[in-house]
Amino acid sequence: MAGILAPGLGVLAHLERLENQTSRSRKRSEAQAQERVLGTKIQKLRHLRDDPRAALWHRRGSVKACIANVEPNRTVEVNEQEALEEKLENVKAILQAYHFTGLSGKLTSRGVCVCINTAFEGNLLDSYFVDLVIQKPLRIHHHSVPVFIPLEEIAAKYLQTNIQHFLFSLCEYLNAYSGRKYQADRLQSDFAALLTGPLQRNPLCNLLSFTYKLDPGGQSFPFCARLLYKDLTATLPTDVTVTCQGGEALSTSWEEQRASHETLFCTKPLHQVFASFARREKLEMSLVS
Amino acid sequence: MDETVAEFIKRTILKIPLNELTTILKAWDFLSENQLQTVNFRQRKESVVQHLIHLCEEKRASLNDAALLDIIYTQFHQHQKVWDVFQMSKGPGEDVDLFDMKQFKNSFKKILQRALKNVTVSFRETEENAVWIRIAWGTQYTKPNQYKPTYVVYYSQTPYAFKSSSTLRRNTPLLGQALTVASKHHQIVKMDLRSRYLDSLKAIVFKQYNQTFETHNSATPLQERSLGLDINMDSRIIHENIVEKERVQRITQETFGDYPQPQLEFAQYKLETKFKSDLNGSILAEREEPLRCLIKFSSPHLLEALKSLAPAALFSRIQKLLCYSASHSQGTQDLSSYVPLYTRC
Repeated sequence: MAGILAPGLGVLAHLERLENQTSRSRKRSEAQAQERVLGTKIQKLRHLRDDPRAALWHRRGSVKACIANVEPNRTVEVNEQEALEEKLENVKAILQAYHFTGLSGKLTSRGVCVCINTAFEGNLLDSYFVDLVIQKPLRIHHHSVPVFIPLEEIAAKYLQTNIQHFLFSLCEYLNAYSGRKYQADRLQSDFAALLTGPLQRNPLCNLLSFTYKLDPGGQSFPFCARLLYKDLTATLPTDVTVTCQGGEALSTSWEEQRASHETLFCTKPLHQVFASFARREKLEMSLVS
Repeated sequence: MDETVAEFIKRTILKIPLNELTTILKAWDFLSENQLQTVNFRQRKESVVQHLIHLCEEKRASLNDAALLDIIYTQFHQHQKVWDVFQMSKGPGEDVDLFDMKQFKNSFKKILQRALKNVTVSFRETEENAVWIRIAWGTQYTKPNQYKPTYVVYYSQTPYAFKSSSTLRRNTPLLGQALTVASKHHQIVKMDLRSRYLDSLKAIVFKQYNQTFETHNSATPLQERSLGLDINMDSRIIHENIVEKERVQRITQETFGDYPQPQLEFAQYKLETKFKSDLNGSILAEREEPLRCLIKFSSPHLLEALKSLAPAALFSRIQKLLCYSASHSQGTQDLSSYVPLYTRC
């Protein structure tokens, strides 16, 4: 600091300097005090963090020590592992087996994902999912049910009041649809030789229309069949009409056949009826030759 | 072969790009394998087209064959049209829907032909239980205009049909009536949903946008997606960021799922709301009438864009806005039940 002061002006400047000095030192000590406060806070937080960490490390160390002690018995470990794997496979198999019950589910973070496995005559067919959110009101989050199945109607009737009924009703519809679809697919694939034209079907497989001949390549007139399935929970038709193409005046034998076919279609699954036609044809052929 | 038919086929074939020509002709299944083999597809397009027209003449292509080719071309180029969605409804207590395709086609055609003497109706069934209908409109005195047809894609035994947007709007009521009566419904209503992408419209309307389900077989692995963090950062900061990013990712996944989003190009909300203010005496809060505004979101792929907002931390703001607007919106409520984001609000 310049010692020699100029008189007058110098005093004020000196006073100003002194003032600045004190304010600076005051600010410094304030900052230092704040620093100290923050320092203790940081220490406290570190302590909070390190404490459980220390405890964790300690635990890990002790566990490792335990394992080290156990190490000599390696064969026991391997056996345990095998036993656990076997248990795991068992549980997986049981969960898979649930599929055969037709209705199974898995808990999800927001509810349950129900899986409906359809079957017909012992054949496992398509699976459909309904993902439910367990809330008030219960709602369907998303699903893989085909759009022509009346899911919304069934949900409106039963979902809120009786979830069991909802699931069983939906199972009924889906199983019946799968069964009808299976019959139509089998007819198209296995008995194409007996059909004289393409099989006409709709998405729900509840209206089937086709023409067929008992003796393909033979002289007989083809039959026209029209199957209506008005009950969507059934796999057998509710209305069957069989007509004979081109035969205005049917002989009694043809009339009998026509009537018997109508009864057959009403009482037996479609592909089974055709299987019996094919067997009969084979039998007749073998008799002729 | 009629001159107009020849011209029509020629113009349709000219539209088809050369690399798609053989595929489309095979799908058309009008010219035989042998005939197609005689064509040199490496020539200039005009020569190829001339040769094809010659073959069509040999086989005596009809107007119906030409219309079928047009349908196939449109099926391959669906995105060139904008599709509207119509929903039909039955009366209460109606019988089970025993849909007969033959009956439907006959009924549909008859209704249109009775109303307008001159109309060309063609059908093509596809494997997903859908029937594509092509209608070329004429009037009592003029022949049908084959170059401005309307297309309808109807999914049988569902209440939904998709119609290509056209400028000839005066025929829409008649078309609606034909569709409703032929499919044995009572009413038809146009939905507030429109897109170039038929698949996306289908996914939204049939609620098929999310087809992944949890089963015991599919062990859903803990998603170890990289969150794009700088490894050189202090590990404590990384931890804090991870917690937040995981939370955002979880909410995004719950809202949007893991599947590809249906492609929407815009979403519009009508908002009617009153203003709430903390300050007393705010002019807006004192308004008697609610504020009315229109909010429009648009993007080439709107839902994917919204989904990618989440990591950008704009998500909570958008969510608040949408929650607010969805709870107050009027008139576009149908959309909110289809788009998963909005049902959460």
